[in-house]
Amino acid sequence: MGLLTLLRALKQNDQEYRVLMLGLDNSGKTTALKQLAGEDVAHITPTQGFNIKSVQTEGFKLNVWDIGGQKSIRPYWKNYYDATDGLIYMIDSADRNRAEETAEELAILLDEEKLDGVTVLLFANKQDLITAMPPEELMSALKLTSQRGRKIIMQPCSAKTGDGLQEGLKQLLDVINAAKASGK
Amino acid sequence: MKLKRFLLRYYPPGILLEYEQGNELHTKAVDLLTLTPDTDVEVLVNTIVRHEPLISEQRKPQVRKLVYKLIEKLESNEAQNFYLFKILRAHILPLTNCAFNKSGDRFITGSYDRTCKVWNTMTGEEMLTLEGHKNVVYAIAFNNPFGDKIVTGSFDKTAKLWNAETGELLHTLRGHATEIVCLSFDPHGAIVATGSMDSTAKLWDVERGVELCTLIGHTAEIVSLNFNTEGDRCLTGSFDHTTKIWDVPTGRCLHTLSGHRGEISSTQFDFSGELCITGSIDRTCKVWNTMTGQCVNTLRGHNDEILDVAFSCTGARLVTASADGTARVYNTMTGACQAILIGHEGEISKVAFNPQGTKIITASSDRTCRIWDAQSGDCLQVLEGHTDEIFSAAFNYEGDTIITGSKDNTCRIWKC
Repeated sequence: MGLLTLLRALKQNDQEYRVLMLGLDNSGKTTALKQLAGEDVAHITPTQGFNIKSVQTEGFKLNVWDIGGQKSIRPYWKNYYDATDGLIYMIDSADRNRAEETAEELAILLDEEKLDGVTVLLFANKQDLITAMPPEELMSALKLTSQRGRKIIMQPCSAKTGDGLQEGLKQLLDVINAAKASGK
Repeated sequence: MKLKRFLLRYYPPGILLEYEQGNELHTKAVDLLTLTPDTDVEVLVNTIVRHEPLISEQRKPQVRKLVYKLIEKLESNEAQNFYLFKILRAHILPLTNCAFNKSGDRFITGSYDRTCKVWNTMTGEEMLTLEGHKNVVYAIAFNNPFGDKIVTGSFDKTAKLWNAETGELLHTLRGHATEIVCLSFDPHGAIVATGSMDSTAKLWDVERGVELCTLIGHTAEIVSLNFNTEGDRCLTGSFDHTTKIWDVPTGRCLHTLSGHRGEISSTQFDFSGELCITGSIDRTCKVWNTMTGQCVNTLRGHNDEILDVAFSCTGARLVTASADGTARVYNTMTGACQAILIGHEGEISKVAFNPQGTKIITASSDRTCRIWDAQSGDCLQVLEGHTDEIFSAAFNYEGDTIITGSKDNTCRIWKC
């Protein structure tokens, strides 16, 4: 990757969007990112910093920033809010014990001024596990209050198998494009 | 004019003459850039005395002693290997850049955790944490050769000047509209230059912490910035595919170096300031005459983007590092490729000569650094141990210590 790659990912093109991927530790962010980039997902360790990968979807280039989710790193998430076109929030649907924690972190993000109006894609991950909450149950567990001027997409997926990832990304891209077209 | 005393400059080799003229002390350099251990010392000493009116015939034995000392310095640590001296769990997020002060007893690391830390090279002890930036600390520098101040440039759009001894914040330099990604002190330590993603560079007065001028002209992000040895010229490399040479006292653009077909990734002046090099995403490196702004050579050969370029300390050679996993050493004058450094299993993002010009270090995404013989291109050593890609690597002035900064949040000190 190198530092120059970082700078080029900061820079914006018309056909390029910057997407931030956040979520609790062990929710599957890096697995999803590698899966989307067509890389091996067999050996993934907790992310201490961040990963950046470019994902091509329908002629657009999405520079996806995957930031580590451990509690000690979460205060640094705000380093990455600037110039974000879309936010992916990854949720481990099978981890009922931490449903409240993930709801709280999401609420903080949605209140963040710099992310005001940014489209959010909620990935209800780990749907391949039988203990996973279905999207409807997860949605109510997140206790989302009404979001003025912001579109929230919920997409069930499995980062491990890749199911649902492209679908989610495509929906996110459509909303971002529509927002750009309407001059927002 | 009266000669007061001799001072030695090891890298690049030179003898500095301190002399008095009308009650004022001046310094003048006798550059010995072509000095090698094979140089005929008697011939050289005669030439120096003949050409330099300040040095009288009686001074010959003294000059001879100085030349021998310089040669001895060129040969030191020639055959020694580096070993891992210390691992510093430096930051809780990845490192960006690292840099030594001139004497090498201190170095600094910048990080995504918004801090810059000052370290004791001998003990590995953390001396200071410079806190205050609100975002990634990306570019850092000492005001070498003095080493009493540090400047940090951040994604929070500001640069900060610090006292390197106490950690006291001296000034916050505000004015850029977006991230600061490159910076440098001028060689006199009086001016700081910053380059930003907002397409401008700015010159700042170090003492007062105020902006002197804005260098306007680039149409895209500035990612590389250097001063020449004199400090009267500044070089900026941009994503707009051009590099510009600026006159520091006036802030005027003297030349726009155009010809590359891709973003500029790295730039540097040679020691004399007569030449500069630019590395580009277009896979080529160009050598330019800084007086005329003309391209004198285009160095081809890499199969992928060039990510970093560097001159040897005398400027006789240059090295290019590429995303193709190789580095290439070129003769600056002829443009001939003298060696291809093959061995890394990932892109090379950083490259540098040691001050003696005998070795080259490359830092790669394959999690290793490699040390190469600058003459033969042989790989002398692989520095293994980092668990993620390496973003930065630097030699100290003596060339006997290396620091490496990695995405794995650690910094490693290597000694020989």
